Amino acid sequence: MTDYKPYPFPAIIGNSIAKKALLCVIINEDINGLLVTGTRGSAKSVLLRSAKTILEDKKVGIVPLNTTEDRLFGSIDIEKAVTRGDIGISSGILAENNFQMIVADDINLLDEKIVHGILNTSETGSVIIEREGFSKNITTHYIFAATMDPEEGGLSPQMLDRFDLCIDTDVIKDEGDRAEVIRNCLEFEKDPDKFTLKFQSDIAKIRVNIENAKERLPYVLIPGALLEIMSELCLEMNVSGQRGDIALAKVSKTLAAMDGRDDVVFEDIKEAALITLQHRRRNPPPQNESPENRSQDQNKERDDDEDHSKAENPDNSPDKKPTGNPGIDTDLQNEDEKNEEPDDNNSSQNMPSSEQIFSVGSVFEVIDYLNEKSVKKSNRDKSGNRSSVISYDSRGRYISYKNLNKKKNDIAICPSIRAAAPFQRFRTKEGLAINVKKSDLREKVREKKTGNTLLFLVDASGSMGAGKRMVSVKGAILSLLNDAYQKRDMVGLMVFRKKEATLLLPPTKSCDLAYKMLKEMPTGGRTPLSRGIIEATKLLTQGRYSKMGGSRAVIILTDGRINVSESGKNPYEELKETAKKASEEDVQFVVVDTEEGFPRIGFAKKLAFELGATYFCIDSLNKAKLRNLVKEAVYTRVL
Amino acid sequence: MSDDNPVYPFSAIVGQEDMKDALLANVVNPSIGGVLIKGEKGTAKSTAVRAVADLLPERKTIKNCIFHCGAGQKRYLCPSCRALSESGKTPEYENVKMRVVELPLSATEDRVAGTLDIEQAITKGEKKFEPGVLAAANGNILYVDEVNLLDDHIVDLLLDAAAMGTNFVEREGISYSHPSRFMLVGTMNPEEGDLRPQLLDRFGLSVNVEGERRTESRTEIVKRRLEFEKNPHDFCDKYEPLQQDLREKIKTAKKIIGDIEPDDLLLNTAVKISLLLNVDGHRSDLTLVKTACAFAALDERNSVNGDDLIKAAGLALPHRMRKLPFEDARLEFDRVESLILESYKN
Repeated sequence: MTDYKPYPFPAIIGNSIAKKALLCVIINEDINGLLVTGTRGSAKSVLLRSAKTILEDKKVGIVPLNTTEDRLFGSIDIEKAVTRGDIGISSGILAENNFQMIVADDINLLDEKIVHGILNTSETGSVIIEREGFSKNITTHYIFAATMDPEEGGLSPQMLDRFDLCIDTDVIKDEGDRAEVIRNCLEFEKDPDKFTLKFQSDIAKIRVNIENAKERLPYVLIPGALLEIMSELCLEMNVSGQRGDIALAKVSKTLAAMDGRDDVVFEDIKEAALITLQHRRRNPPPQNESPENRSQDQNKERDDDEDHSKAENPDNSPDKKPTGNPGIDTDLQNEDEKNEEPDDNNSSQNMPSSEQIFSVGSVFEVIDYLNEKSVKKSNRDKSGNRSSVISYDSRGRYISYKNLNKKKNDIAICPSIRAAAPFQRFRTKEGLAINVKKSDLREKVREKKTGNTLLFLVDASGSMGAGKRMVSVKGAILSLLNDAYQKRDMVGLMVFRKKEATLLLPPTKSCDLAYKMLKEMPTGGRTPLSRGIIEATKLLTQGRYSKMGGSRAVIILTDGRINVSESGKNPYEELKETAKKASEEDVQFVVVDTEEGFPRIGFAKKLAFELGATYFCIDSLNKAKLRNLVKEAVYTRVL
Repeated sequence: MSDDNPVYPFSAIVGQEDMKDALLANVVNPSIGGVLIKGEKGTAKSTAVRAVADLLPERKTIKNCIFHCGAGQKRYLCPSCRALSESGKTPEYENVKMRVVELPLSATEDRVAGTLDIEQAITKGEKKFEPGVLAAANGNILYVDEVNLLDDHIVDLLLDAAAMGTNFVEREGISYSHPSRFMLVGTMNPEEGDLRPQLLDRFGLSVNVEGERRTESRTEIVKRRLEFEKNPHDFCDKYEPLQQDLREKIKTAKKIIGDIEPDDLLLNTAVKISLLLNVDGHRSDLTLVKTACAFAALDERNSVNGDDLIKAAGLALPHRMRKLPFEDARLEFDRVESLILESYKN
């Protein structure tokens, strides 16, 4: 393994919480897993790799994105098997005992199985190998740390829960600090050795501190009263499972030890709660809590939070506060904003809708991320940020292997050799080192991430023209666009108005383009819904989009007030027929009823019935909910 | 490139100044991190990238190293070169030209990252690493045409290697790591889909190219192209003096850039810009400073002035302000410009 030069730990500017968390996992090896989240270029990887400069035996293992299972857990040693005929194990990254810490960058992009394996091993402390005809249990111990950029897709809650600590990197706002970052980076790039030397004494100091804290740790006690507070805190924050409580206790103790104290104080708990409970929070159940309660909680938490940052970093400017505690504040704030939104729209009906849209769009980004978690929690145990399907052609990421199917030629060479290795003693080799028989051959199992194809069929007739309706409809579409990016979904936009259905935007992965089209989407005229459904179904079932992987869905947003018939029949009758036909196609439908006020025709509901679609109503349309429903519809198909 | 198949000379490209600037800045300081060229078909994107190969300077590398480990540094060395340098022997050096390594869209994971050498495994029963594209790209230009169409998992590999300048391979029984520091040059047509923000951020600079609008430039393009196709050798000879000038310019700039110390004014202005635009992370600050220095060096100056910074900002920032809708981005940019002018008034 090449020795790379890590950036010295003390030279990292800001990020005091992140640095502390890293020290925690180094001091207390019972703490399992540290997850660092943050946007790109916010020194996540730099931070974790800098750990190498303060670890005692200086070994940091790296799990790259190209990792295959055999290297991670260990597998048969080919060289030994072939040249000497022994069956031995060449141990994987996890079992190589010389790593004190294992770092995985972009863990949300790693294969789920691999993430699972790493987390399991770090928790149980042993690697169990059951493959290629041998079985072994190797004990191992390491600190596991990972980074991820939430914008690239989240991690499922089960996975998140496995990380005892989860912190967000700071966004450094201070001009002087930022300039210092650049200066340091340039200097480091120019001459890493010289730069590291500058921090030698700091590094030595930190090492001593770590040692001291390690010695003190076993003697740190948590007073009984505080234990109770901890449990209350976990309950209050609606943390799932018990791991949070345990992590909270461990981290509080470690913080006390770091501070040179033998007993845990309330401050430790507050600090620990921020980094251990945040990512474990469930979304508050909607019915149980009244808004007042929630805002009280929020205030309370904010106060706590302010206390905390004041106590912790007395010299910090107040603008650092939100970054220190990203989750609580933004979560609740956003929820509030969300509740307020409809009112905003109401009062500003006459404002140009374009401005409205963009404000909606920016709010959604955060909500999106949270919701993704809640969806996974409630109805899917097999999660993944994107829909992954096993690919049957030879494209896609190589994830595993299986016995060769006669027709395919996508041979997994290494597993084939491994399979053949044990028999080499008994085979004639004809000058080669290894003789592989047909029965040894394995083929690659590849996984493709396929996006779904979503087509928004939007009623842009006059009846939809009322400012508020169109704004919320557009807002809903916009928020799905963000989602689409993460999942690599294709999003199309079809509008029906006047006499025709126009494809404004053929399904595309370009969100920018979709933004643009959405902004310029015209409204007014009559409602040829049947035409719209026919065209939309045609588009997705014929031609190029029908051959795309993943599932296809048409999301119809209409008020159901149709008034154009092509065949000259009653428009409602005609629509029923069309709907029946469309429901036989391999396309999923979602109907969003935008009808408002009294009296209602309620035709959209009937339409949903005919189409076999998921139906819901815009009146109760919480935007977050819309996306959930769409997701449900789409995912039940895929998985 | 062989003489039988001459490349269209860089200096013969008409217009597209932004793209040329961005490429040259990267040649002068490869750690800027490459260029993303966005634009419609037929706007000399690929021509420019291929043409830049002819201008590339020579690098001093350790002889016979398959990874072309650069001389005179210790940070990025492959295991064998590291062993060599640690053993105290002075390695032999050779000068090689930087080249353009192309990553085709159809590339598979094992070929990109590198994998088990099958021949060795079967004939000798040994585990040996077979280097992939990321190894070949070390110290060179990694060129991806239509980078937005690249498969997701391949993009992940690029990100991984670009993050730390090292490619860690843990697959197929192989555990290996080698330096992989490359200048990433990608071209894309935005209408065919977006690039993931994470990958976007890895490109140091980005340029938007548009077809020439003026008639005389358009005719000039056609004229030159026809001339080139008719007799490429003569055409190249005609432009050789210009090319030579450009090479000299790059050579001088490379010398100067080592002496440019970014002053506080530059750093502070760069930071102010980043804060003003609310860009993610610190990569933009760094790139901005490095690019401004490169432009100063190309102009044979020791200090950076406001114009350098404006030019650099135009290339280093637009793709990092993704959160803004289109029209507003231009407005924001005007604010950046006035901020720079304000800072550099004296």
